[in-house]
Amino acid sequence: MASIINSISFKNFFNYYGDYEDTRYDFEEGVNIIVADNGAGKSKFFNAFLWLFYDQILDSDDKRKKAIKDIAYKIISDKAKNETSLGSSLVSGIRVEYSTGRFKYQITKSFTATRIKENLTDYDSWQIVIDDLEVDQSEIILHRYKPVYDYDEKRKIINRLILPDLRQYSFLQGEEVDRIIDFSKKSSIEDAVRTLTNISKYEELVELIRDIAKKSENDLNKKTKETNAQTDRLEKAQQEKETLTFMLKKEVESLSEFQKLYEDAEREKNELDQKYANAEKRKELDEKISAKNRVLKSAKEEYDSFLEGINNKFFDGNFSWISLGFENHVEDFKEKIKLFRQNRYEKRALLKASESPNDYFTMLPVNSPDAVSLENMIDSEHCYVCDRPAEKGSDAHNYLLKLKNRPNENKPTKEFVKNDLEEFFGNLQVNASPFCNKFDAIPQSVLRTKEREGELRERVDKLNNELKSLKSQRKDILIAGAESDENDNALSIINQFKGAIKRMEQASNKIERLEGNIKELKHNLSVTEKEIENLRPKDLPEGYTLNYKICSDLEEAIVNAKERVFDNMVNLLEEHANRHFQNLIRHNDLAGGILKFEKTPAGSISLKYIDSTGNEVHGGSEGFQRMKKFSVVMAIISVNTTQYNYPLLADAPLSAFGKAFTEGFFEAIGGVFPQSIVLVKELYDGDDEMKLSDLGKKLIKEDNIKTIYLNTVNKGVEQIDLVTTKTKLK
Amino acid sequence: MTSQEFRSNILSKRPRYANSRIPLLDALANKGSRTSEFSQFGPIYELYIYAMMLGIKRNTRLSLPPRNLTTDFLEIGKWKRDSALVDFLLMIIFSNAEKDLGYNLNDLEDLEEGELNKVISNVLMLIEEYANGGLEYLEKLWEKGELENSHYMFIDLYKSN
Repeated sequence: MASIINSISFKNFFNYYGDYEDTRYDFEEGVNIIVADNGAGKSKFFNAFLWLFYDQILDSDDKRKKAIKDIAYKIISDKAKNETSLGSSLVSGIRVEYSTGRFKYQITKSFTATRIKENLTDYDSWQIVIDDLEVDQSEIILHRYKPVYDYDEKRKIINRLILPDLRQYSFLQGEEVDRIIDFSKKSSIEDAVRTLTNISKYEELVELIRDIAKKSENDLNKKTKETNAQTDRLEKAQQEKETLTFMLKKEVESLSEFQKLYEDAEREKNELDQKYANAEKRKELDEKISAKNRVLKSAKEEYDSFLEGINNKFFDGNFSWISLGFENHVEDFKEKIKLFRQNRYEKRALLKASESPNDYFTMLPVNSPDAVSLENMIDSEHCYVCDRPAEKGSDAHNYLLKLKNRPNENKPTKEFVKNDLEEFFGNLQVNASPFCNKFDAIPQSVLRTKEREGELRERVDKLNNELKSLKSQRKDILIAGAESDENDNALSIINQFKGAIKRMEQASNKIERLEGNIKELKHNLSVTEKEIENLRPKDLPEGYTLNYKICSDLEEAIVNAKERVFDNMVNLLEEHANRHFQNLIRHNDLAGGILKFEKTPAGSISLKYIDSTGNEVHGGSEGFQRMKKFSVVMAIISVNTTQYNYPLLADAPLSAFGKAFTEGFFEAIGGVFPQSIVLVKELYDGDDEMKLSDLGKKLIKEDNIKTIYLNTVNKGVEQIDLVTTKTKLK
Repeated sequence: MTSQEFRSNILSKRPRYANSRIPLLDALANKGSRTSEFSQFGPIYELYIYAMMLGIKRNTRLSLPPRNLTTDFLEIGKWKRDSALVDFLLMIIFSNAEKDLGYNLNDLEDLEEGELNKVISNVLMLIEEYANGGLEYLEKLWEKGELENSHYMFIDLYKSN
């Protein structure tokens, strides 16, 4: 019959102020929920079970479990402390009622505290005396408790509530699930399978039969020696058998060594798994970050040099910003140089005219008329300059010819100014031209510069943001992996991981070879035994041979049976774990992969999560990981051929789960545990009238949820007035 | 004096600035290292040219203190070597020749060497005084905290003058 907790009550236990009657929580078979916000006594409630089973309390100050006596002064309700005068005493305790079969038990654990000093909260202000453990028993139908006096009997009654071996599956506090099923330990699943299958009984049986078989063989050998004609040959065969047996033993030992090596390497690999994934991801991110840094650096350099170059545009002839607003000056200069040249020309002309006036009365501009016009005039025998005929042979025609053939080189001109600055000013005009023709383009050029700067700045910003995002991803990994921020650490993890994999491979190869050897040795042994049998005298009393044969067969059969039972159990566990897992994730949008139990070369079992295509899936949220483990815990319980007879006591196991997981959780536990008492925060909603979340309101209507309590504390009061108040919602 | 002599006489001059401008020069010209809160020019001559052009734009000439209270720097011929810039600057200077130098371009051709050398000195003084006028303007803005700290400080200021 299942153990069902009927009630729990407290006396001046933390915030549970008052006597047992005031703080009594009644529970039923099925799912019972206590909803409480942080600080409303959830962990304290759970502490009652720690006291009940282990005489310990979890000190919320340092998260360590401590013996009752050492922490008693913290256990007592502050309100009760305050009401106890110096020299007076009070009692603080817990009381659990449970029933199993036709009996009902009431267990009370308490201590008496006497106030010996003024200060309320000091360790040495209270003298603590642990009260005797009180256990009362009653037949369910009688409703009258009778005390149990025998201490061992009392312990047994407490243990019967949840067997010590099974408490690990039944007694969950937050992250406990992680600890129970630690997949990096070979024993996690294997232990469960061993517990569930009584494999050790098979092993004991194998040992027993081996002993008997050995004895029967000795008897047989003894008898054989007495009667056999083929003694020498038989002895040789028996020696051969001994040698083979010895070799087999050695190989088996060797195998177990390598299995151990494999197992250690595997454990290391599993431990490093997440870190490795992180380290690899980090390495990948580091590479990305460093590449991004390079791009960012060059983008920044480009941007900086662009900024520095902005003012260069004043002086660069391609932009000539310096000329902005100097249009008039340039125009003035042009006018001036024109005038300058004109004046010069006149000056020179005047000078020349005064020196050889005859040349200048018909003066035409220098080099004028040009060669083409002269050609025309000569051909047409007419001067277009004075519009008169110039017939061939005439003076006029000859003059035209003379003009046409005038020498190209200028005659050295006589200085007509003291300082010849024509070239200087002319060069100024020519050379400065890049700065004289961009006036209209400058505003546009400034605008383009600003636009370009904007583009470059945006690029730098974008790269900066990308880098920030990469760095933040890297930081997330660091937090998840709790590693120090060093590159060589990442590398050493990768190397360690690879080393472990390599050792696993090496061990695995060796194991394979050894298994081959063992198989061969076993075969040889078996044929040697056959030969020994043939060499045995035929007139031996039948009993000796039969005894020996039966024992050998039995040994083989039991070993096979043991393996089959083990394998079957693993398969069954896998099936159950998957069923629970599907139930747990049914409200999630997860694609729903499969949990796979695999036998490793070391003979242990590993759990893998694979997707529909058979690929192993790593990572996942903490909640998801815990769900996975919880599925295995529930599988371990549900595969038990006899019904699991113990309640689930759980404190906030959902804190890492999402809402959808939480819903799946309540549905799933109903099918596995006859009774669950779950303390949760996740269903609390301080803003709601009922203080329940939407999911809480949904659950309250579910049939499998039997009771729901709401714990509240009077907020905003001093610690000495803090009291947890319960409201039964269902 | 030939054109070449005239030119090289001008280009060999080292303009001067008042020693009191040194902090401003340090702030606005980095001389190769970026160390200011403001947008900066590179070499001093860039700031100097900018100030001079600003002085011309604003038509503010400001005499320098006595020579021993001033500092010279790179000769004009080495400002932005092999570029059209210096020609442009001289062009601007000579575009106001009558007003600023007292001679038109043709007059210059008829001056005695001594007089022309004086003109060259005056060209230098003109450059110095306009630059000083521009620097004074910048300095006032700087003192009043009105220099806008932007990459476009100089061009924006230039546009608004």
